[in-house]
Amino acid sequence: MFSYLIRRALTLLLVLLGLAILIFIIARIVPGDPARIALGPLATAEQVAEMRQEMGLDDSFFMQLWSYLSGLAQGDLGKSLLTSRPVMDDILGALPATFELVLFTIILQVVISIPLGVIAAIYRNTWVDNLLRIVSLIGVVTPGFVLAIILQLVAAYYLGFLPVTGRLEGSIDFSADITGLLLIDGTLMGRFDVILDAMRHLILPALALAAAGIGQVMRITRTAMIEVSSRDFVEASRAYGIPERVVTFRYMLRVASVAPLTILGLEFASLIGNAFIVEFVFSWPGIASYGVRTILQKDLNAVIGVVLVSGVFFVVANLTIDMLLGLLDPRHRLRAERDS
Amino acid sequence: MSRILDIKNLSIDFTAYGQTRRVLNDVNMYVGQGERVSLIGQSGSGKTVTMRTIIGTLPMPPGKVESGSINYDGQSLLDLNVQERNRLKGTGISIVLQDPMLSFNPVLTIKRQMDDIVRYSDIRMGRYRNKSDREAHLMDTLRKVRLEEGSRILNSYPMMLSGGMRQRVLIGMALLNRPKLLIADEPGTALDVTTQAEILQLINILVAEEGLSLLLITHNLGVVREMADRVYVMERGQIVETGTRDEIFEKPEHDYTHKLMSAVPILYGSKVKTMEHEGLKPTIEINHVSKDFETRGGWLNRVTGDFRAVNDVSLTIQQGDIFGIAGESGSGKTTMAKLILGLTKPTEGQISIYGRPISEFAGTQEFRKLIQIVYQNPGSSLNPRRSIADQLAVPLKFTGHNKAQIKTRVGELLELVDLPQDYASMYPHELSGGQKQRVAIARALSVNPKILVLDEPTSALDVLVQSTVIDLLHRLRSEFNLTYVFISHDLSLMRNFCNRVAVMLRGNVVEEGRVADIFDAPSHAYTRALLSAIPVISDEEEASKPKLKNEERDAVLATSTALEV
Repeated sequence: MFSYLIRRALTLLLVLLGLAILIFIIARIVPGDPARIALGPLATAEQVAEMRQEMGLDDSFFMQLWSYLSGLAQGDLGKSLLTSRPVMDDILGALPATFELVLFTIILQVVISIPLGVIAAIYRNTWVDNLLRIVSLIGVVTPGFVLAIILQLVAAYYLGFLPVTGRLEGSIDFSADITGLLLIDGTLMGRFDVILDAMRHLILPALALAAAGIGQVMRITRTAMIEVSSRDFVEASRAYGIPERVVTFRYMLRVASVAPLTILGLEFASLIGNAFIVEFVFSWPGIASYGVRTILQKDLNAVIGVVLVSGVFFVVANLTIDMLLGLLDPRHRLRAERDS
Repeated sequence: MSRILDIKNLSIDFTAYGQTRRVLNDVNMYVGQGERVSLIGQSGSGKTVTMRTIIGTLPMPPGKVESGSINYDGQSLLDLNVQERNRLKGTGISIVLQDPMLSFNPVLTIKRQMDDIVRYSDIRMGRYRNKSDREAHLMDTLRKVRLEEGSRILNSYPMMLSGGMRQRVLIGMALLNRPKLLIADEPGTALDVTTQAEILQLINILVAEEGLSLLLITHNLGVVREMADRVYVMERGQIVETGTRDEIFEKPEHDYTHKLMSAVPILYGSKVKTMEHEGLKPTIEINHVSKDFETRGGWLNRVTGDFRAVNDVSLTIQQGDIFGIAGESGSGKTTMAKLILGLTKPTEGQISIYGRPISEFAGTQEFRKLIQIVYQNPGSSLNPRRSIADQLAVPLKFTGHNKAQIKTRVGELLELVDLPQDYASMYPHELSGGQKQRVAIARALSVNPKILVLDEPTSALDVLVQSTVIDLLHRLRSEFNLTYVFISHDLSLMRNFCNRVAVMLRGNVVEEGRVADIFDAPSHAYTRALLSAIPVISDEEEASKPKLKNEERDAVLATSTALEV
């Protein structure tokens, strides 16, 4: 298992390298002179030429690629034109907010969709199943930003029991210095007011972001459970007198959870994409808002950084899912061991 | 003799899509204390519904008990409340299901699954045993089913055990809570014949040792003869005949029982049909063929070794032969079929068809028109979303027929396999297993091949249907001068269907020759072991089976091929 994980991790590094090169090439192809953009329309041709030299834009393509990759290896993503600070610092500053949102979203997806999927399977073809089918369909077809705006309007604006935007009330004096995640740092420092307030801020954006995944994973869980329920071992366990709830959760769900987990991993890609929009709607101070602003400004160094970070997110998430599958399903693990 | 199980006038209805169907009709049967009773019938006859009703796992709805009663050990099962009923599960009545792989949860260890059974029954019965006591009980039970390496097995996942071991563990699971009545659904039929023989013997011993009563549900009459004291024959939800084993086997009275009996291929004796044919024109020549499969692993999936699936096989198949390739799982018979079809290339050696090496023209249209295949399971070899006509048209389209030609040809093909013309517009799920296999045969014949490879074409079918498909294959062979290569593990069927046979063991052909010669005087110990393990249906056959000393058989089987599937 261990050597399998190392092997997987190395392949993933290769994937990231490929992504880095690809995004670099794309950034160079886009029309527009980065030096001119950086200096603004009033700069003189001499100033632009000087800037080009400084930015290394006159070097050969491969020289540029090399200096970019070697900088990357040292954690240097260059300077942001927008904020004039190192891109790495900008991203590290915004990352915890996004990480917290995405993590919370996934937890929300798992705890909502899998139990509902199981319920739909148990009560299949009854009104319960039909109701859940409608709920999941609505979740899948509603675009994240529409849901975000509706939630914001209804829960926050009209009913007013949840905050409209932001991550934490300004009145609370707290800086998350340990991990950057408010919920975790709040717990570590024993600040219940922070935990509660952070939760109140998280719930709406996380729900807007989670909806599509919830619908999808719920349906897949239902299908997988129904498929598993007709297997011989389910009948056998019942006949041997194992109680129904144990049959459902230990015997059936463990076998059935492979498909939903795999989907959750894939779902991650669209989650990050959607996060860009949802963060924007809720003024969430995360990497997505930063990404949107830098894209509009054609701040290439920052854009490359943001894309790379979401790539890392995706790759790590899928590695995690792989490990989970290995834990849940010995066949996965044994196959991996045999192959290594 | 007191009755442990007594079913009286049981009728059960099934309701689906607003239509009600009677699946069990006025069933009366009983199992005496310590008795071995067998319930036989084709698939769909109601055997499984009966089993599930007794054990209490029949879903209701859609099932509904219309009338009747089931008495178990003085209790009326259908009148018990849920708790009382659940108390009997595993502790009073227990089951062994057919497929030893599917009957296990694939993601939990054997220990977890066995321990759960003990633990939850303890809770229901108000008992308590600590962990080590329970584990000792698991080990004891595994010893009962003759498994010595208890702790290794307990810590394994089902996929890590061989088929025979899994079946033993499964029997152990059924016995964990000392039931009085054991219901066995086709025990061992998913296993190779040599393993099956051991399992049947084990069940017989356990029934005696543990004082069990046995209800055996099966369609295999050979198994019934070895395992039952009394027999019930079921047809379309009704018991049509009952009697002692000897009564049923020696003088069956009901037509249906007669038909069942006469459809079983006979291994020895006067009723054996011998297919006589001496071909003179070599059709398939297999010349010192070997096939290695690479095993891969490690960094970047390197080749780490070779597994030899077929080893130096030389055979000549003559024009008009029905050439049987026999062997257990892992013997290399399926790889042989693929080699002959040109689907995989031999590592060494050469195969020629009508004198031409297939390496020269495999994959060409000419080759495809020469040789075709019929697969084992028509349920999966036919595309469920295409009509029968569409499926039959596929090979025709690829061999340059136009629309009108295809339409007439589809009609001809259906007629060829005795199916009505209007089946052309039907879909596979509307057909029975036998009809589907006819479609698969028709599809293979559509391009007028000279050779058909038949990969266990009847093993998914009931014995009555099997005999009609075999008759059809005989007829087609003489009508079109076909040559068959018949891949199977069913030696009884081969005895009656083939004219020549090759027996494979671990990639080697251990014996080859005319069917009558091989069966009457098998020269290799493995062939003798295979033949002696087949459950037969008459004393005459039993007496003619090769006798094998135990040591001799153990020596062959110790190195048996049965791969871990």
